[in-house]
Amino acid sequence: MPLPRRRRLTLRIILLAVILLALTLLACTWRPALPVRPDGAAASYDTALVTLGANLSALGLCANCHTARPSAPFAGGFPVVTPFGTVYSTNITPDRRTGIGDWTEAAFARALQDGVARDGSHLYPAFPYDHYTRLAPADIHALYAYFMTRDAIDAPARANDLAFPLGFRPLLAGWKWLFLDRTPVAGHAGQSADWNRGAYVAQALGHCAACHSPRNALGAVDQRRYLGGGAADGWYVPALNARSPSPIAWTTDSMTAYLRTGIAPQHAMAGGPMQAVTASLANADAADVRALATYIVSQMGNPPSQVEQRALAATRQPVVLPTPPAGNSQLALGHRVYQDACARCHAAGRTAGSGGALQLPAAVALYDPDPRSLIRIVRDGIGPGPGEPGRWMPAYAGILDTEQLTALAAYLRHSAAQPPWPDLAHHVTAIEKEAPAP
Amino acid sequence: MSQFALQVNGVSHRVDTEPDTPLLYVLRDDLHLNGAKFGCGLGQCGACTVIVGDAAVLSCLMPVSTVGARAVKTIEGPGNGALQQAFIAEQAAQCGYCIAGMIMRAQALLDKHAAPSDEQIRRHMALNLCR
Repeated sequence: MPLPRRRRLTLRIILLAVILLALTLLACTWRPALPVRPDGAAASYDTALVTLGANLSALGLCANCHTARPSAPFAGGFPVVTPFGTVYSTNITPDRRTGIGDWTEAAFARALQDGVARDGSHLYPAFPYDHYTRLAPADIHALYAYFMTRDAIDAPARANDLAFPLGFRPLLAGWKWLFLDRTPVAGHAGQSADWNRGAYVAQALGHCAACHSPRNALGAVDQRRYLGGGAADGWYVPALNARSPSPIAWTTDSMTAYLRTGIAPQHAMAGGPMQAVTASLANADAADVRALATYIVSQMGNPPSQVEQRALAATRQPVVLPTPPAGNSQLALGHRVYQDACARCHAAGRTAGSGGALQLPAAVALYDPDPRSLIRIVRDGIGPGPGEPGRWMPAYAGILDTEQLTALAAYLRHSAAQPPWPDLAHHVTAIEKEAPAP
Repeated sequence: MSQFALQVNGVSHRVDTEPDTPLLYVLRDDLHLNGAKFGCGLGQCGACTVIVGDAAVLSCLMPVSTVGARAVKTIEGPGNGALQQAFIAEQAAQCGYCIAGMIMRAQALLDKHAAPSDEQIRRHMALNLCR
Protein backbone atom coordinates (compact mmCIF):
# COMPACT_ATOMS: atom_id res chain seq x y z
CA MET A 1 0.00 0.00 0.00
CA PRO A 2 1.48 3.38 -0.98
CA LEU A 3 2.35 5.73 1.87
CA PRO A 4 0.18 8.80 2.33
CA ARG A 5 1.55 11.81 0.51
CA ARG A 6 2.54 13.70 3.71
CA ARG A 7 4.56 10.79 5.09
CA ARG A 8 6.37 10.40 1.81
CA LEU A 9 7.29 14.07 1.93
CA THR A 10 8.57 13.80 5.51
CA LEU A 11 10.67 10.76 4.58
CA ARG A 12 12.19 12.63 1.66
CA ILE A 13 13.06 15.59 3.85
CA ILE A 14 14.73 13.32 6.41
CA LEU A 15 16.63 11.51 3.68
CA LEU A 16 17.81 14.80 2.22
CA ALA A 17 18.90 16.04 5.66
CA VAL A 18 20.91 12.84 6.25
CA ILE A 19 22.60 13.15 2.87
CA LEU A 20 23.41 16.82 3.51
CA LEU A 21 24.79 16.01 6.95
CA ALA A 22 26.96 13.23 5.51
CA LEU A 23 28.26 15.54 2.79
CA THR A 24 28.96 18.29 5.32
CA LEU A 25 30.89 15.86 7.53
CA LEU A 26 32.85 14.59 4.54
CA ALA A 27 33.59 18.18 3.50
CA CYS A 28 34.95 18.85 6.98
CA THR A 29 37.47 16.04 6.52
CA TRP A 30 38.69 17.44 3.22
CA ARG A 31 42.20 18.89 3.14
CA PRO A 32 43.68 20.57 0.08
CA ALA A 33 46.68 19.25 -1.77
CA LEU A 34 49.58 21.64 -1.24
CA PRO A 35 51.65 22.97 -4.14
CA VAL A 36 54.47 20.77 -5.36
CA ARG A 37 57.98 21.88 -4.47
CA PRO A 38 59.53 23.11 -7.72
CA ASP A 39 61.91 20.64 -9.35
CA GLY A 40 65.49 21.77 -8.95
CA ALA A 41 64.71 23.89 -5.90
CA ALA A 42 67.83 24.38 -3.84
CA ALA A 43 68.42 21.54 -1.40
CA SER A 44 71.24 23.32 0.31
CA TYR A 45 70.94 23.91 4.03
CA ASP A 46 73.17 25.26 6.70
CA THR A 47 75.27 22.44 8.16
CA ALA A 48 74.45 23.47 11.72
CA LEU A 49 70.75 23.25 10.91
CA VAL A 50 71.16 19.78 9.38
CA THR A 51 73.14 18.64 12.45
CA LEU A 52 70.37 19.94 14.67
CA GLY A 53 67.84 18.03 12.56
CA ALA A 54 69.91 14.84 12.82
CA ASN A 55 69.78 15.06 16.62
CA LEU A 56 66.03 15.70 16.58
CA SER A 57 65.54 12.73 14.27
CA ALA A 58 67.52 10.49 16.66
CA LEU A 59 65.48 11.76 19.64
CA GLY A 60 62.25 11.38 17.67
CA LEU A 61 63.15 7.78 16.68
CA CYS A 62 62.30 8.54 13.02
CA ALA A 63 64.55 5.81 11.65
CA ASN A 64 63.06 3.20 13.97
CA CYS A 65 59.94 3.02 11.83
CA HIS A 66 61.01 4.70 8.59
CA THR A 67 64.03 2.42 8.02
CA ALA A 68 63.21 -1.20 7.26
CA ARG A 69 66.66 -2.11 5.90
CA PRO A 70 69.83 -0.41 7.17
CA SER A 71 71.03 -0.11 3.57
CA ALA A 72 68.04 2.08 2.71
CA PRO A 73 67.75 4.64 5.51
CA PHE A 74 64.38 6.42 5.76
CA ALA A 75 63.03 4.62 2.67
CA GLY A 76 60.07 3.21 4.64
CA GLY A 77 58.41 -0.18 4.26
CA PHE A 78 58.62 -1.10 7.96
CA PRO A 79 55.46 -2.86 9.19
CA VAL A 80 53.84 -1.25 12.22
CA VAL A 81 51.52 -3.93 13.59
CA THR A 82 48.50 -2.50 15.40
CA PRO A 83 45.27 -4.05 16.73
CA PHE A 84 43.59 -2.54 13.65
CA GLY A 85 45.91 -4.06 11.07
CA THR A 86 49.36 -3.39 9.69
CA VAL A 87 50.47 0.05 8.53
CA TYR A 88 53.66 0.26 6.46
CA SER A 89 55.88 3.27 6.99
CA THR A 90 56.49 5.50 3.97
CA ASN A 91 59.57 6.75 2.21
CA ILE A 92 60.72 10.07 3.74
CA THR A 93 63.86 10.46 1.63
CA PRO A 94 63.89 13.39 -0.83
CA ASP A 95 63.04 11.13 -3.79
CA ARG A 96 60.57 13.13 -5.89
CA ARG A 97 58.50 10.21 -7.13
CA THR A 98 58.26 7.92 -4.10
CA GLY A 99 59.53 10.04 -1.19
CA ILE A 100 58.95 13.59 0.01
CA GLY A 101 61.18 15.29 -2.55
CA ASP A 102 58.27 17.31 -3.92
CA TRP A 103 57.06 18.41 -0.46
CA THR A 104 57.55 22.02 0.54
CA GLU A 105 58.40 22.80 4.13
CA ALA A 106 54.75 23.83 4.62
CA ALA A 107 53.63 20.37 3.50
CA PHE A 108 56.20 18.71 5.78
CA ALA A 109 55.03 20.82 8.74
CA ARG A 110 51.38 19.97 8.03
CA ALA A 111 52.20 16.25 8.01
CA LEU A 112 53.86 16.49 11.43
CA GLN A 113 51.29 18.77 13.02
CA ASP A 114 48.03 17.70 11.37
CA GLY A 115 48.82 14.22 10.09
CA VAL A 116 48.00 15.17 6.49
CA ALA A 117 50.16 14.23 3.49
CA ARG A 118 51.08 16.75 0.78
CA ASP A 119 48.30 15.44 -1.47
CA GLY A 120 45.71 16.17 1.24
CA SER A 121 45.14 12.57 2.38
CA HIS A 122 44.97 11.84 6.10
CA LEU A 123 47.83 9.85 7.62
CA TYR A 124 47.36 7.02 10.09
CA PRO A 125 48.37 7.74 13.69
CA ALA A 126 50.83 4.83 13.56
CA PHE A 127 52.86 7.88 12.54
CA PRO A 128 52.90 9.50 16.00
CA TYR A 129 51.71 12.95 14.97
CA ASP A 130 49.60 12.87 18.12
CA HIS A 131 52.93 13.84 19.73
CA TYR A 132 54.45 15.86 16.88
CA THR A 133 51.50 18.32 17.06
CA ARG A 134 53.47 19.77 19.95
CA LEU A 135 56.79 20.23 18.11
CA ALA A 136 58.31 23.70 18.06
CA PRO A 137 58.30 25.27 14.56
CA ALA A 138 62.08 25.75 14.73
CA ASP A 139 62.51 22.02 15.26
CA ILE A 140 60.29 21.19 12.29
CA HIS A 141 62.45 23.55 10.23
CA ALA A 142 65.60 21.66 11.27
CA LEU A 143 64.01 18.25 10.67
CA TYR A 144 63.01 19.34 7.18
CA ALA A 145 66.59 20.41 6.44
CA TYR A 146 67.83 17.04 7.69
CA PHE A 147 65.47 14.93 5.60
CA MET A 148 65.87 17.01 2.44
CA THR A 149 69.64 16.42 2.59
CA ARG A 150 69.41 12.60 2.89
CA ASP A 151 70.12 10.37 -0.11
CA ALA A 152 67.04 10.06 -2.34
CA ILE A 153 65.95 6.42 -2.57
CA ASP A 154 63.37 5.09 -5.00
CA ALA A 155 61.01 3.02 -2.85
CA PRO A 156 57.25 3.12 -3.43
CA ALA A 157 54.98 2.78 -0.39
CA ARG A 158 53.55 -0.62 0.42
CA ALA A 159 49.78 -0.92 0.65
CA ASN A 160 48.51 -1.09 4.24
CA ASP A 161 46.64 -4.11 5.49
CA LEU A 162 43.83 -2.70 7.63
CA ALA A 163 40.49 -3.97 8.86
CA PHE A 164 37.40 -2.62 7.03
CA PRO A 165 36.43 0.30 6.97
CA LEU A 166 39.72 1.82 8.16
CA GLY A 167 41.07 1.99 4.62
CA PHE A 168 38.71 4.99 4.23
CA ARG A 169 41.04 7.77 5.35
CA PRO A 170 38.49 10.59 5.93
CA LEU A 171 37.51 8.66 9.08
CA LEU A 172 40.86 9.73 10.52
CA ALA A 173 39.64 13.34 10.68
CA GLY A 174 37.18 12.22 13.36
CA TRP A 175 39.96 10.47 15.27
CA LYS A 176 42.04 13.60 15.17
CA TRP A 177 39.12 15.76 16.27
CA LEU A 178 38.73 13.50 19.31
CA PHE A 179 42.34 12.95 20.27
CA LEU A 180 44.83 15.53 18.98
CA ASP A 181 46.31 17.81 21.61
CA ARG A 182 47.84 20.92 20.09
CA THR A 183 48.81 22.70 23.28
CA PRO A 184 52.57 23.23 23.48
CA VAL A 185 54.34 21.25 26.21
CA ALA A 186 53.87 23.39 29.29
CA GLY A 187 56.97 24.65 31.04
CA HIS A 188 57.26 24.26 34.78
CA ALA A 189 59.01 27.17 36.47
CA GLY A 190 59.62 25.08 39.57
CA GLN A 191 61.55 22.44 37.62
CA SER A 192 65.10 22.54 36.28
CA ALA A 193 65.98 23.45 32.71
CA ASP A 194 66.93 19.79 32.20
CA TRP A 195 63.54 18.61 33.38
CA ASN A 196 61.74 21.04 31.08
CA ARG A 197 63.85 20.04 28.09
CA GLY A 198 63.21 16.38 28.96
CA ALA A 199 59.46 16.94 29.19
CA TYR A 200 59.52 18.39 25.68
CA VAL A 201 61.74 15.62 24.29
CA ALA A 202 59.51 12.91 25.82
CA GLN A 203 56.16 14.41 24.84
CA ALA A 204 56.74 16.21 21.55
CA LEU A 205 59.63 14.21 20.04
CA GLY A 206 60.41 10.85 21.61
CA HIS A 207 56.74 9.83 21.91
CA CYS A 208 57.53 7.58 24.90
CA ALA A 209 53.83 7.42 25.76
CA ALA A 210 53.08 5.76 22.41
CA CYS A 211 54.29 2.44 23.85
CA HIS A 212 54.56 3.16 27.59
CA SER A 213 50.88 4.14 28.01
CA PRO A 214 47.73 2.07 27.65
CA ARG A 215 45.61 2.88 24.61
CA ASN A 216 41.82 3.18 24.47
CA ALA A 217 39.41 1.23 22.26
CA LEU A 218 40.07 3.61 19.35
CA GLY A 219 43.84 3.20 19.66
CA ALA A 220 44.56 6.60 21.20
CA VAL A 221 46.93 7.05 24.14
CA ASP A 222 44.88 7.04 27.35
CA GLN A 223 45.97 10.38 28.84
CA ARG A 224 44.46 9.61 32.23
CA ARG A 225 46.92 6.73 32.50
CA TYR A 226 49.88 8.61 30.97
CA LEU A 227 53.01 6.38 31.04
CA GLY A 228 50.96 3.75 32.90
CA GLY A 229 52.41 0.81 30.94
CA GLY A 230 51.47 -0.49 27.50
CA ALA A 231 52.39 -3.06 24.88
CA ALA A 232 54.53 -3.21 21.74
CA ASP A 233 55.30 -6.15 19.45
CA GLY A 234 53.84 -8.54 22.02
CA TRP A 235 56.05 -7.25 24.83
CA TYR A 236 54.77 -5.71 28.03
CA VAL A 237 56.11 -2.15 28.05
CA PRO A 238 56.76 -1.09 31.64
CA ALA A 239 54.92 1.77 33.28
CA LEU A 240 57.11 4.83 33.81
CA ASN A 241 54.78 6.57 36.25
CA ALA A 242 54.01 5.70 39.86
CA ARG A 243 53.06 2.21 38.66
CA SER A 244 56.61 1.46 37.48
CA PRO A 245 57.30 -2.21 38.26
CA SER A 246 61.00 -1.60 38.93
CA PRO A 247 61.97 -2.97 42.36
CA ILE A 248 64.87 -0.51 42.69
CA ALA A 249 64.48 3.24 42.16
CA TRP A 250 66.09 4.53 38.99
CA THR A 251 68.44 7.48 39.13
CA THR A 252 69.10 10.05 36.42
CA ASP A 253 72.51 8.39 35.95
CA SER A 254 71.18 4.85 35.58
CA MET A 255 68.39 6.00 33.25
CA THR A 256 70.80 8.02 31.09
CA ALA A 257 73.11 5.01 30.78
CA TYR A 258 70.18 2.74 29.95
CA LEU A 259 68.77 5.08 27.30
CA ARG A 260 72.14 5.41 25.60
CA THR A 261 73.44 1.83 25.90
CA GLY A 262 70.46 -0.40 26.69
CA ILE A 263 72.25 -1.58 29.82
CA ALA A 264 71.38 -0.65 33.40
CA PRO A 265 73.16 -3.16 35.67
CA GLN A 266 70.71 -2.67 38.53
CA HIS A 267 67.54 -2.82 36.46
CA ALA A 268 67.38 -4.22 32.95
CA MET A 269 68.91 -4.90 29.59
CA ALA A 270 66.92 -3.39 26.74
CA GLY A 271 65.17 -6.09 24.72
CA GLY A 272 62.52 -6.23 22.03
CA PRO A 273 61.37 -2.90 20.60
CA MET A 274 63.27 -0.92 23.27
CA GLN A 275 66.58 -2.05 21.78
CA ALA A 276 66.05 0.06 18.67
CA VAL A 277 65.06 3.00 20.88
CA THR A 278 68.33 2.87 22.81
CA ALA A 279 70.26 2.41 19.56
CA SER A 280 68.70 5.63 18.24
CA LEU A 281 69.27 7.55 21.46
CA ALA A 282 72.93 6.46 21.42
CA ASN A 283 73.26 8.76 18.40
CA ALA A 284 71.45 11.68 20.01
CA ASP A 285 72.95 14.58 21.93
CA ALA A 286 74.07 13.28 25.35
CA ALA A 287 72.72 16.32 27.19
CA ASP A 288 69.29 15.85 25.60
CA VAL A 289 69.21 12.18 26.62
CA ARG A 290 70.19 13.15 30.14
CA ALA A 291 67.37 15.71 30.15
CA LEU A 292 64.97 13.00 28.97
CA ALA A 293 66.18 10.71 31.77
CA THR A 294 65.69 13.51 34.32
CA TYR A 295 62.07 13.96 33.28
CA ILE A 296 61.27 10.22 33.07
CA VAL A 297 62.80 9.47 36.49
CA SER A 298 60.70 12.29 37.96
CA GLN A 299 57.54 10.58 36.68
CA MET A 300 58.33 7.28 38.40
CA GLY A 301 57.35 6.84 41.97
CA ASN A 302 59.58 5.12 44.48
CA PRO A 303 59.22 1.36 44.86
CA PRO A 304 57.86 0.17 48.23
CA SER A 305 60.81 0.31 50.58
CA GLN A 306 60.67 -3.36 51.62
CA VAL A 307 60.66 -4.42 47.95
CA GLU A 308 63.66 -2.20 47.25
CA GLN A 309 65.54 -3.31 50.38
CA ARG A 310 64.92 -6.95 49.49
CA ALA A 311 66.10 -6.51 45.89
CA LEU A 312 69.18 -4.56 46.93
CA ALA A 313 70.10 -7.16 49.54
CA ALA A 314 69.57 -9.99 47.06
CA THR A 315 71.88 -8.42 44.50
CA ARG A 316 74.83 -8.33 46.90
CA GLN A 317 77.26 -10.79 45.43
CA PRO A 318 77.16 -13.65 44.91
CA VAL A 319 73.52 -13.87 43.89
CA VAL A 320 71.86 -17.04 45.18
CA LEU A 321 68.18 -17.41 44.40
CA PRO A 322 66.02 -19.06 47.06
CA THR A 323 65.06 -22.73 47.20
CA PRO A 324 61.31 -23.07 46.61
CA PRO A 325 59.02 -24.52 49.28
CA ALA A 326 58.85 -28.33 49.34
CA GLY A 327 55.89 -29.95 47.65
CA ASN A 328 55.47 -27.52 44.75
CA SER A 329 56.63 -29.55 41.76
CA GLN A 330 56.40 -26.68 39.26
CA LEU A 331 58.57 -24.38 41.35
CA ALA A 332 60.98 -27.26 42.00
CA LEU A 333 61.33 -27.85 38.24
CA GLY A 334 61.77 -24.12 37.64
CA HIS A 335 64.47 -23.98 40.28
CA ARG A 336 66.33 -26.91 38.68
CA VAL A 337 66.13 -25.27 35.25
CA TYR A 338 67.40 -22.01 36.73
CA GLN A 339 70.32 -23.75 38.43
CA ASP A 340 71.32 -25.82 35.41
CA ALA A 341 70.68 -23.38 32.57
CA CYS A 342 70.75 -19.83 33.98
CA ALA A 343 72.86 -19.71 37.12
CA ARG A 344 76.24 -20.08 35.45
CA CYS A 345 75.93 -16.50 34.20
CA HIS A 346 73.22 -15.00 36.38
CA ALA A 347 74.47 -16.24 39.75
CA ALA A 348 78.13 -15.53 39.19
CA GLY A 349 77.81 -12.05 40.64
CA ARG A 350 79.17 -10.47 37.52
CA THR A 351 77.79 -7.13 36.42
CA ALA A 352 75.65 -6.68 33.35
CA GLY A 353 77.40 -5.87 30.11
CA SER A 354 79.64 -7.71 27.76
CA GLY A 355 80.26 -11.19 29.14
CA GLY A 356 78.20 -10.62 32.28
CA ALA A 357 74.61 -11.09 33.20
CA LEU A 358 71.89 -9.10 34.89
CA GLN A 359 71.34 -9.80 38.56
CA LEU A 360 67.88 -11.30 38.51
CA PRO A 361 66.55 -10.05 41.87
CA ALA A 362 66.78 -6.56 40.33
CA ALA A 363 65.46 -7.46 36.87
CA VAL A 364 62.39 -5.36 36.06
CA ALA A 365 60.85 -8.11 33.91
CA LEU A 366 60.29 -10.29 37.00
CA TYR A 367 58.12 -7.56 38.53
CA ASP A 368 56.04 -6.81 35.39
CA PRO A 369 52.27 -7.28 35.76
CA ASP A 370 52.35 -9.99 33.07
CA PRO A 371 55.04 -12.48 31.96
CA ARG A 372 55.26 -11.66 28.24
CA SER A 373 58.59 -9.82 28.32
CA LEU A 374 60.29 -12.45 30.50
CA ILE A 375 59.05 -15.30 28.28
CA ARG A 376 60.34 -13.52 25.17
CA ILE A 377 63.73 -12.76 26.73
CA VAL A 378 64.22 -16.41 27.73
CA ARG A 379 62.92 -17.85 24.44
CA ASP A 380 64.45 -15.41 21.98
CA GLY A 381 67.37 -14.02 23.96
CA ILE A 382 68.81 -10.54 23.59
CA GLY A 383 71.43 -10.09 20.90
CA PRO A 384 73.56 -7.07 20.11
CA GLY A 385 72.14 -4.61 17.61
CA PRO A 386 73.42 -4.69 14.01
CA GLY A 387 77.13 -3.95 14.02
CA GLU A 388 77.29 -3.54 17.79
CA PRO A 389 79.50 -5.55 20.14
CA GLY A 390 78.56 -7.07 23.47
CA ARG A 391 75.31 -7.84 25.24
CA TRP A 392 74.30 -11.42 24.60
CA MET A 393 71.61 -13.45 26.26
CA PRO A 394 71.27 -16.68 24.27
CA ALA A 395 67.86 -17.83 23.05
CA TYR A 396 66.48 -20.87 24.90
CA ALA A 397 63.76 -21.71 22.34
CA GLY A 398 64.12 -25.41 21.58
CA ILE A 399 66.37 -26.01 24.59
CA LEU A 400 63.59 -25.58 27.15
CA ASP A 401 60.31 -27.32 26.42
CA THR A 402 56.97 -25.69 27.23
CA GLU A 403 56.75 -27.19 30.72
CA GLN A 404 60.32 -26.17 31.61
CA LEU A 405 59.88 -22.63 30.28
CA THR A 406 56.61 -22.18 32.18
CA ALA A 407 58.14 -23.57 35.37
CA LEU A 408 61.20 -21.33 35.03
CA ALA A 409 59.04 -18.21 34.64
CA ALA A 410 56.90 -19.26 37.63
CA TYR A 411 60.01 -19.88 39.73
CA LEU A 412 61.69 -16.59 38.79
CA ARG A 413 58.50 -14.72 39.68
CA HIS A 414 58.41 -16.60 42.99
CA SER A 415 62.08 -15.81 43.62
CA ALA A 416 61.21 -12.10 43.39
CA ALA A 417 58.57 -12.57 46.14
CA GLN A 418 55.84 -11.48 43.73
CA PRO A 419 52.38 -13.09 43.48
CA PRO A 420 52.14 -15.73 40.71
CA TRP A 421 51.23 -14.42 37.26
CA PRO A 422 47.70 -15.40 36.29
CA ASP A 423 47.53 -16.87 32.77
CA LEU A 424 51.25 -17.73 32.70
CA ALA A 425 50.69 -21.01 30.85
CA HIS A 426 48.37 -19.26 28.40
CA HIS A 427 51.02 -16.63 27.59
CA VAL A 428 53.73 -19.27 27.10
CA THR A 429 51.54 -21.26 24.72
CA ALA A 430 50.52 -18.17 22.75
CA ILE A 431 54.13 -17.02 22.30
CA GLU A 432 55.36 -20.50 21.36
CA LYS A 433 52.62 -20.76 18.75
CA GLU A 434 53.60 -17.45 17.19
CA ALA A 435 57.35 -18.25 17.09
CA PRO A 436 58.08 -21.99 17.09
CA ALA A 437 61.57 -23.17 17.97
CA PRO A 438 63.99 -23.05 15.00
CA MET B 1 76.55 -36.65 40.16
CA SER B 2 73.24 -37.84 38.74
CA GLN B 3 72.35 -40.43 36.15
CA PHE B 4 70.63 -39.38 32.93
CA ALA B 5 69.04 -41.58 30.26
CA LEU B 6 69.52 -40.24 26.75
CA GLN B 7 68.29 -41.36 23.33
CA VAL B 8 71.00 -40.38 20.86
CA ASN B 9 70.72 -41.34 17.18
CA GLY B 10 68.26 -44.05 18.14
CA VAL B 11 70.54 -45.62 20.76
CA SER B 12 69.83 -45.54 24.51
CA HIS B 13 72.60 -44.36 26.79
CA ARG B 14 73.02 -43.82 30.51
CA VAL B 15 75.52 -41.23 31.66
CA ASP B 16 76.66 -40.20 35.13
CA THR B 17 77.33 -36.50 35.27
CA GLU B 18 76.41 -33.19 36.90
CA PRO B 19 72.93 -31.96 35.89
CA ASP B 20 74.25 -28.66 34.53
CA THR B 21 76.76 -30.34 32.20
CA PRO B 22 76.14 -29.08 28.68
CA LEU B 23 74.75 -31.71 26.32
CA LEU B 24 77.73 -30.99 24.04
CA TYR B 25 80.20 -32.20 26.68
CA VAL B 26 78.18 -35.37 27.25
CA LEU B 27 78.06 -36.10 23.52
CA ARG B 28 81.77 -35.54 23.01
CA ASP B 29 83.35 -36.67 26.28
CA ASP B 30 81.03 -39.46 27.44
CA LEU B 31 79.52 -40.78 24.21
CA HIS B 32 82.54 -39.99 22.00
CA LEU B 33 80.35 -38.43 19.31
CA ASN B 34 82.78 -35.74 18.22
CA GLY B 35 80.81 -34.38 15.25
CA ALA B 36 79.27 -31.48 17.15
CA LYS B 37 82.02 -28.94 17.83
CA PHE B 38 82.83 -26.59 20.66
CA GLY B 39 83.08 -23.16 19.07
CA CYS B 40 82.35 -20.26 21.39
CA GLY B 41 80.60 -21.98 24.29
CA LEU B 42 78.25 -18.99 24.51
CA GLY B 43 75.54 -19.83 22.00
CA GLN B 44 76.86 -17.36 19.46
CA CYS B 45 78.39 -19.46 16.67
CA GLY B 46 76.31 -22.60 16.06
CA ALA B 47 79.19 -25.11 15.71
CA CYS B 48 77.60 -27.24 18.47
CA THR B 49 74.14 -27.45 16.82
CA VAL B 50 72.32 -30.78 17.18
CA ILE B 51 68.64 -31.69 16.90
CA VAL B 52 66.70 -32.27 20.13
CA GLY B 53 63.09 -33.32 19.69
CA ASP B 54 62.24 -31.51 16.47
CA ALA B 55 64.29 -28.35 17.00
CA ALA B 56 67.88 -27.39 16.22
CA VAL B 57 69.52 -26.45 19.51
CA LEU B 58 72.88 -25.12 20.62
CA SER B 59 74.13 -28.08 22.65
CA CYS B 60 76.76 -25.99 24.45
CA LEU B 61 73.93 -24.11 26.19
CA MET B 62 71.64 -27.06 26.87
CA PRO B 63 72.05 -28.61 30.33
CA VAL B 64 71.83 -32.39 30.10
CA SER B 65 69.12 -32.26 32.78
CA THR B 66 66.69 -30.49 30.44
CA VAL B 67 66.86 -33.05 27.60
CA GLY B 68 64.38 -35.40 29.29
CA ALA B 69 62.72 -37.89 26.96
CA ARG B 70 63.43 -35.88 23.79
CA ALA B 71 65.44 -37.75 21.16
CA VAL B 72 68.85 -36.31 20.25
CA LYS B 73 70.18 -36.46 16.68
CA THR B 74 73.75 -35.62 15.74
CA ILE B 75 75.68 -35.58 12.48
CA GLU B 76 76.78 -39.19 13.17
CA GLY B 77 73.20 -40.47 13.16
CA PRO B 78 71.15 -41.78 10.26
CA GLY B 79 68.80 -39.54 8.32
CA ASN B 80 70.98 -36.72 7.06
CA GLY B 81 73.01 -38.59 4.44
CA ALA B 82 71.36 -36.88 1.46
CA LEU B 83 72.04 -33.49 2.98
CA GLN B 84 75.68 -34.42 3.67
CA GLN B 85 76.01 -35.47 0.02
CA ALA B 86 74.57 -32.12 -1.08
CA PHE B 87 77.08 -30.24 1.10
CA ILE B 88 79.90 -32.30 -0.48
CA ALA B 89 78.57 -31.84 -4.01
CA GLU B 90 78.34 -28.08 -3.57
CA GLN B 91 81.74 -27.91 -1.82
CA ALA B 92 80.06 -26.14 1.07
CA ALA B 93 82.91 -26.77 3.50
CA GLN B 94 85.93 -24.52 3.83
CA CYS B 95 87.82 -25.57 6.97
CA GLY B 96 84.83 -27.73 7.96
CA TYR B 97 84.65 -26.81 11.63
CA CYS B 98 81.14 -25.35 11.41
CA ILE B 99 79.75 -27.87 8.96
CA ALA B 100 78.32 -30.46 11.37
CA GLY B 101 76.30 -27.68 13.00
CA MET B 102 75.29 -26.24 9.63
CA ILE B 103 74.03 -29.62 8.44
CA MET B 104 72.06 -30.32 11.60
CA ARG B 105 70.39 -26.90 11.54
CA ALA B 106 69.57 -27.33 7.84
CA GLN B 107 68.19 -30.81 8.58
CA ALA B 108 65.85 -29.39 11.25
CA LEU B 109 64.48 -26.96 8.67
CA LEU B 110 64.02 -29.69 6.04
CA ASP B 111 62.24 -31.88 8.62
CA LYS B 112 59.60 -29.15 8.92
CA HIS B 113 59.57 -27.76 5.36
CA ALA B 114 60.52 -30.14 2.55
CA ALA B 115 61.08 -27.25 0.10
CA PRO B 116 61.88 -24.07 2.03
CA SER B 117 62.13 -20.71 0.28
CA ASP B 118 65.43 -18.80 0.02
CA GLU B 119 64.07 -16.36 2.59
CA GLN B 120 63.24 -19.18 5.03
CA ILE B 121 66.69 -20.72 4.54
CA ARG B 122 68.49 -17.43 5.13
CA ARG B 123 66.51 -16.63 8.25
CA HIS B 124 66.81 -20.16 9.66
CA MET B 125 70.54 -20.52 9.02
CA ALA B 126 71.48 -16.99 10.16
CA LEU B 127 72.49 -18.21 13.61
CA ASN B 128 75.23 -20.53 12.35
CA LEU B 129 78.45 -18.78 11.50
CA CYS B 130 81.28 -19.73 9.15
CA ARG B 131 84.54 -18.07 10.03
